[in-house]
Amino acid sequence: MDQNPAPTQGHTAEQSVLSKSNDPTSQEAPLKITIILPTNAYFMAGIRDFTMTITQNMTGFSQQWAYRLQSVVDELTNNAIEFGSAVGENITITFVSEKNKYIEVFVKDTGTGSSKMSAADMMQYLESHKNIDPTTITSIRGRGLSQIVANWADKVEFTDNEDGGLTAHAIKYIDANEQL
Amino acid sequence: MSDIQITFQDLTLGTRKAKLINFKGQLDETNVDHEAKKIYQVITEMAEPVLLLDFSELEYMNSKSIGYVTDWFTQISAKSGSVSIIGPKPNILDILKVVGITQIITVYSTLEEAKTALGALKSATPGAPAVTTQASAL
Repeated sequence: MDQNPAPTQGHTAEQSVLSKSNDPTSQEAPLKITIILPTNAYFMAGIRDFTMTITQNMTGFSQQWAYRLQSVVDELTNNAIEFGSAVGENITITFVSEKNKYIEVFVKDTGTGSSKMSAADMMQYLESHKNIDPTTITSIRGRGLSQIVANWADKVEFTDNEDGGLTAHAIKYIDANEQL
Repeated sequence: MSDIQITFQDLTLGTRKAKLINFKGQLDETNVDHEAKKIYQVITEMAEPVLLLDFSELEYMNSKSIGYVTDWFTQISAKSGSVSIIGPKPNILDILKVVGITQIITVYSTLEEAKTALGALKSATPGAPAVTTQASAL
């Protein structure tokens, strides 16, 4: 993993893009797309379609990984909608990618939702659940972050936002063997 | 709300009544709670449920949908029934594998393959569960 670029250090979309844009060694500016949507699951099918389109056409990932990243974004977005932002508030999804290198996604909520958790709480949950044998999970919930996101992203982290919300950040690097 | 159509068809596998359930579209947060009730209804109505979940036209399923499949499996197993998955697209099979579903529910490539296997199992071993819990070879 060390040979891969380090897209972000501060874990916010703005910092990530600024750092890459100002990098004189960068041969091509990273793609950055931000979508703001109301806290409503109605829009998730559209987000999935969008994720599929940009991943397949603009990042260099294979179709299999496009589907996987579609699920990663869907699960993170759903968590933000269900727990992170209240109805009437927004969710902000930012995609950053350098073609044939990586894609990262930031999902930012406002912290006004039904279950406010800190970044530390989320990391603790993730660390304590990601290695569980999935066949032992009998509940309907509990597979999105700990199984799907944890298995299909190279790095997952959470940051407490200054306004009280949470930003989930997932990165997937392109493995040469995984490209088309 | 995402589009999903679920249709039901009665089948006979050997001497057993079975229900073929076709899923067409996308299962996600917007529809799965509502749609899952239809499956629970079938499980409730059948004394020994034998369900074949036809995923050949299922385009997307999220983690909660997978959770429901696990719960159906648990409830059906408690009634000595069986559940199988038929013909999932590669992306669906991929996500079923990553969450371990293929370790507890048998996946068949086609309906014919499932009918043959389930019918043969029942014929060969009367009284035995129609579905093994071995991992799919897919």
